[in-house]
Amino acid sequence: MKILIADDSRVMRQIVTRTLRQAGYDGHDLVEAEDGAELVAKANADSFDLVLSDWNMPNLTGIEALRALRAGGNNTPFGFVTSEGTQEMRDTAAAGGALFLIAKPFTAEMFKEQLDSILG
Amino acid sequence: MAPTGDDLQQIAEQVWASYLDTDGAKPLIPLPPDKLSKDVVAGVAVSGAWHGLVLVACSDVASKEAAAALLGMESDDVTEGDVDDALGELANVIGGNVKSLLPEPCTLGLPEVHNNADGDPWLAGDEICRFEATWMGEPMEVSVLEKPQGGGTE
Repeated sequence: MKILIADDSRVMRQIVTRTLRQAGYDGHDLVEAEDGAELVAKANADSFDLVLSDWNMPNLTGIEALRALRAGGNNTPFGFVTSEGTQEMRDTAAAGGALFLIAKPFTAEMFKEQLDSILG
Repeated sequence: MAPTGDDLQQIAEQVWASYLDTDGAKPLIPLPPDKLSKDVVAGVAVSGAWHGLVLVACSDVASKEAAAALLGMESDDVTEGDVDDALGELANVIGGNVKSLLPEPCTLGLPEVHNNADGDPWLAGDEICRFEATWMGEPMEVSVLEKPQGGGTE
């Protein structure tokens, strides 16, 4: 499977990659994006099985990127991995078409809980 | 509604358990350090119904150890860019959790890292809570500053 990881922090992209491995999702093709605009460009240029995206990013935020994908007819499964997990943000994410929102700090178990139905 | 030092401790301990002390070998010890050092200060601004900053401050040594732990590399190989990214992300994660304790609606800014904190106008504000700790023998501090509305958090 092919997964797009979008976060403006290289540290967090690496932690997400490590957590995917710890959660048992080895051997997937991982592609990185450094902001929301790059997320949209890469998600539209290639076919992904899942997008894992930060919320607060320069250029386009994660929710703006999700809306841009959906407005363009791109329905790639999309989940947020973000430092904020308020109910308001979860509602906004769901209304935009996101499947889930994992709040930082997260654990491998939290990844498994949300991703098993998609990657398992 | 306002965060307390106990809230900051709880949030910081969760962050450490998830990212910096995953095997329990490098715990964040909730005791004030025996030396004061704020070589690196990373922060995120909060604006909206409440204005202020959530800050993570530590020594130069601690900042490199944190970057090394987060990136899975040796501290000797850590670059200044790695430190900025790592400390900024720590501030971002802690800031996101602190924001849930603040009045709504608020938005979180992108992290900034400041190396010369003394007299830095971005870091001016009224401290409302603080958590001082020792990590790997080095000082580590999380704090929340409130600014007068519109006081330069944008």
